[in-house]
Amino acid sequence: MTVLAAATNLVDAGLLAQLLLGALAVVAAVVTRGRLRNLLAGALIVAAGIAAAVTGSAALLGEVGTGLQIPVAIPLAEPLDPLLLAPDQLGGLFMALAGVVVALAALFGIGYAHGPAASRTGWTAFAVFAVGMQLVPAAADAVTFLLAWELMAGGSTVLLLADHATREPVRRATVWYAVMTHLSFLLLLAGFGVLIAAAGGTSWATMTGASVAGPAATLAFVLLVAGFATKAGLVPVHVWLPRAHPEAPSHMSAAMSAAMVKMGIYGILLLTLRLLPGGPRWWSIVLVAIGAGSALYGILQASVQADLKKLLAYSTTENIGLITTAIGVGLLLRSSGQNAVADVALVAALLLAVSHAAFKSVLFLGAGSVLHATGERDLDLLGGLAARMPWTSVTFGIGALGAAALPVTSGFVAEWALLQSLIHVDARADRLLAIVIPITMGIVALTVGLGLLTFVKAYGIGFLARPRTPAAAEAHEAGPAMRAAMVLGAVLVVGLGLVPGPLSQALARAVSAGGVSTTGGAGLLLGAVDVVLNPIALTLLTLAILVPLVVVNAVLARRHPRRDVDLAWGCGGERTSPRMEYNATSYSEPLVRVFRSSLQATQLVDVVRHDAAPLLVEQMTFTQETGDVIEDRLYLPATRWAGRLGDLARTIQNGSIHRYVGFSFAALVLVLVLVAL
Amino acid sequence: MSTSRLLRLIARTGRVAEPLGPATDNDIQVRDGFEPPRALRGSVQVRHVDAGSCNGCELEIGAAFGPVYDAERVGARLVASPRHADVIAVTGVVTQNMAEPLVNTVNATPNPRVIVSIGDCTRSCGQFAGSYAVAGSVDDYFEVDVHVPGCPPAPEAIIAALRAVTRR
Repeated sequence: MTVLAAATNLVDAGLLAQLLLGALAVVAAVVTRGRLRNLLAGALIVAAGIAAAVTGSAALLGEVGTGLQIPVAIPLAEPLDPLLLAPDQLGGLFMALAGVVVALAALFGIGYAHGPAASRTGWTAFAVFAVGMQLVPAAADAVTFLLAWELMAGGSTVLLLADHATREPVRRATVWYAVMTHLSFLLLLAGFGVLIAAAGGTSWATMTGASVAGPAATLAFVLLVAGFATKAGLVPVHVWLPRAHPEAPSHMSAAMSAAMVKMGIYGILLLTLRLLPGGPRWWSIVLVAIGAGSALYGILQASVQADLKKLLAYSTTENIGLITTAIGVGLLLRSSGQNAVADVALVAALLLAVSHAAFKSVLFLGAGSVLHATGERDLDLLGGLAARMPWTSVTFGIGALGAAALPVTSGFVAEWALLQSLIHVDARADRLLAIVIPITMGIVALTVGLGLLTFVKAYGIGFLARPRTPAAAEAHEAGPAMRAAMVLGAVLVVGLGLVPGPLSQALARAVSAGGVSTTGGAGLLLGAVDVVLNPIALTLLTLAILVPLVVVNAVLARRHPRRDVDLAWGCGGERTSPRMEYNATSYSEPLVRVFRSSLQATQLVDVVRHDAAPLLVEQMTFTQETGDVIEDRLYLPATRWAGRLGDLARTIQNGSIHRYVGFSFAALVLVLVLVAL
Repeated sequence: MSTSRLLRLIARTGRVAEPLGPATDNDIQVRDGFEPPRALRGSVQVRHVDAGSCNGCELEIGAAFGPVYDAERVGARLVASPRHADVIAVTGVVTQNMAEPLVNTVNATPNPRVIVSIGDCTRSCGQFAGSYAVAGSVDDYFEVDVHVPGCPPAPEAIIAALRAVTRR
C-alpha cells in the first residue's frame, strides 16, 4: 500500500486522516439516524476539520511531505497520472483556514441541523463538501485540483437544496448557484487546458515554467481569473452569492461564505504568484479594478439590505473585493520594483482572508442561531434579541466589530495593514501608480466607512431596542453546541486582533514576503514600511486611561442617587409601540437617497382614503425595493437572448422523425463530400 | 431695531424687576410634612401642564417668569419636556381629554418630583365644576405638594410657591 507507506510525516498523515475521517463521516451519516446522526457525523467532520487545520498549519510552517499519491483507475483514452496531494505553504494556509471554518460550522451543525439538512443526504453532502474544500489547496496538479473543486461544488449544491420541498426560493437559488459554479468550473477547465498545452504537463511544478509573455498565458490568465472570480463572488459574477447564502442552512452558509469563496482567492494567488509570476502590469490593474469595484458595490448593496443573511452575503462580496484589491496592489508594486511595500500588501491580503473567515463564520452562525430561535431573518421583524439571546448577541456583536474593522478585532489589523501598504507607496516616479493608488485608497476608505454603517445596522436593529414581532419576543438562546461554535469563532476574532504578530509572520512566509516581524507583546511590526501595531499595548493604554475615569465617575455618581422614571415620554400619549422604532429600512434611507440610481431604488407610498371623507387618510403603506443593477443590465438580457436562441432551435427541432432522418442524411452527405475533396 | 437703538432702550428703561424680598407665604398651601427633596434644593426645572384652564393662570405664570417678577432669580426655570423637569406645575381643571396626558406627563418626570397646582380650579374645579367635560380636580389624581390659591393667583404667590420648593 503506497498510500499507507507515505504516511510517515505530519502533512501526509494529516491528508490521509482527512480522507479517512471524511469517509467515516459519510458512513456515519448513512448508517445512524436521528440525534445520533447529527452527533456522530458532525463530530467526525469536526475531526476532519481539525485534521485539516493541523495539516495546513504544519505545511504553512514549512513541513514538506512526500505528497499523498492516490492512484486512479478510470478507463480513459489517455491514462491519468496518480492524483497528487502535496500542499505548499500557501496551500497549507488555505487548508488550515478551511479546516477551522469546517470544524466551527460542523460543531454548530450538530446543534443546528434539523429537517432535511440533518438527513442522510444532508450530512453526506456536507462531509463531501468539507473534505473536497480542504483538499483543493492541497492539490499539486490541475486534475486533482479540479476533482477536489468539483467535490466542493457538488456537495455544496446538494446541501443548498436541503429545504427545496418547503421553500420555493431555494430552488431558484440552487439553479443560479449550480449554473454559476459550473460556469466557474468550465472556465477553469479551459484555462488550465490552455496552460497545460503551453507547459506540457498537469502538475503545478511543470506549469511554473510556462512563459508569461505569449497569448496563451494571457488567455489562461483571463479564463482562470474569470473562473476563480466566479467562485469568489466578485462583481459582476457575484449574483449567486446573495441568493445562495440566505437560502442555505446556516452552518452551510458559514462554510460557504467564510471558506469556500476563499478557494477562489487561493486560485488567484496560485495563478499570479506560483504558476504565472511576473505577468504584465495590466493583469494587476485588472485585479485592482475588479476588487475595488466589488468592494464598493458589495458594501453598498449590503448597507441597504434588510435581510440579515443577504446583508452578510453582500458583505462577503465586499471583503473578497478588498482581498483581491490587496493582491492586485501587491502585484502592481512588485512589477514596479517596490518589493517591500508589495510584501505588505500581499500579507494584508492574507490577513484580510483569515480575518474574514473568522468573523464571517461567527456572523453567519449568529444569523443561524437567530433564524433557529425566531424563524426570521428580516431585520425589520427582529429586535430586542440582546436580552433573550445573550450568548448569540455578544458573539454576533464581536463578529460585527470585526466586520466593521474596529480595534481589538482581526478585521482592524487586516484593514490597517492594507491601508499602511497603500499609504507607503512611492508614486512620485510612476504615473500609473500615482493614478491607481489614490483612487484605490479612496475606495477602500469609503468601503470601510459604509461597512461600519452596515454592521451598526445589522447589530443595532437586530439585537437592540424592543422586539418588533411576537417571534422575536419569544426568542430562545441557542443550544450548547451552537453556543460553543459561536464562542470559539468570537475568540478567534478577538485573539487575532490582539496578537496579530505570530500569524502575520506565518502569512508572510506563505507569500515569501520579508519585513514582517513580531514585536514585544505579540504586536505586528511591518519593518518594510517602518510601522508598528501593538494591540495589547494600545488596549492596556486605553484601559489605563478609561479605568480611572470610570472609577471617578462612579464615585461621583454615588453622591447623586440615580433618578428613575416610571414611563418613557411619549408626548403625553403612550405612543411607544415597537413599530415606532428605527428599522433597517429607515436606517439606510439616507444612503438609498444618495445612491438611488446605482441601487435602482423604487419607493411606493400607497394611501387609502376614508370613504366618507376623502381628506382623511385611513391607511398608508410604504414599500421600498432595491435592485441589483448588474443583474438587470447583464444577466436578464443574457437569459433573454438564450431564450430566443432556444426558440430558434425549436423551429429546427420540431419533433418530426422524418426531418431528423433528413438531417442525418444531409450530415452524412456533407462528410462524404468533405472527405472526397 | 439696530443695536445702538436697542442699547439706548436698555439704558433708558433701566431695571424693571421688583426687588426680591424675604420669602413670604402669600396664602400658599403646603402639604403637611412636605420637605423639598435634597436633590432639588436651590434649583428646579418646571414643566407646566395646562390640564383645562381658562388661561388666566397662564397669564400669571407668564408674568411670574417675565422681567418684572423674574422667577428665575429664585432658581426656577420653565422647560419644554417632563424628561428635563423636577416640578410639574398644573393649572386648571382636569378635563376628560387631558386626564391621560396629565398622568403620562407626571409619570414621565423623574423621581423625586414635586407637584405644584396653581389656581382655585385645581382644587375645587371653580366655574367648571359639574361640566360633562371635566374629569375631576388635580387633587383627585395626585397628592399635590404645593397649592397656590386664587382665581387667578398673583405672580407673587406663584413665586412664593416656587420658593417653597427651591428654598431660596
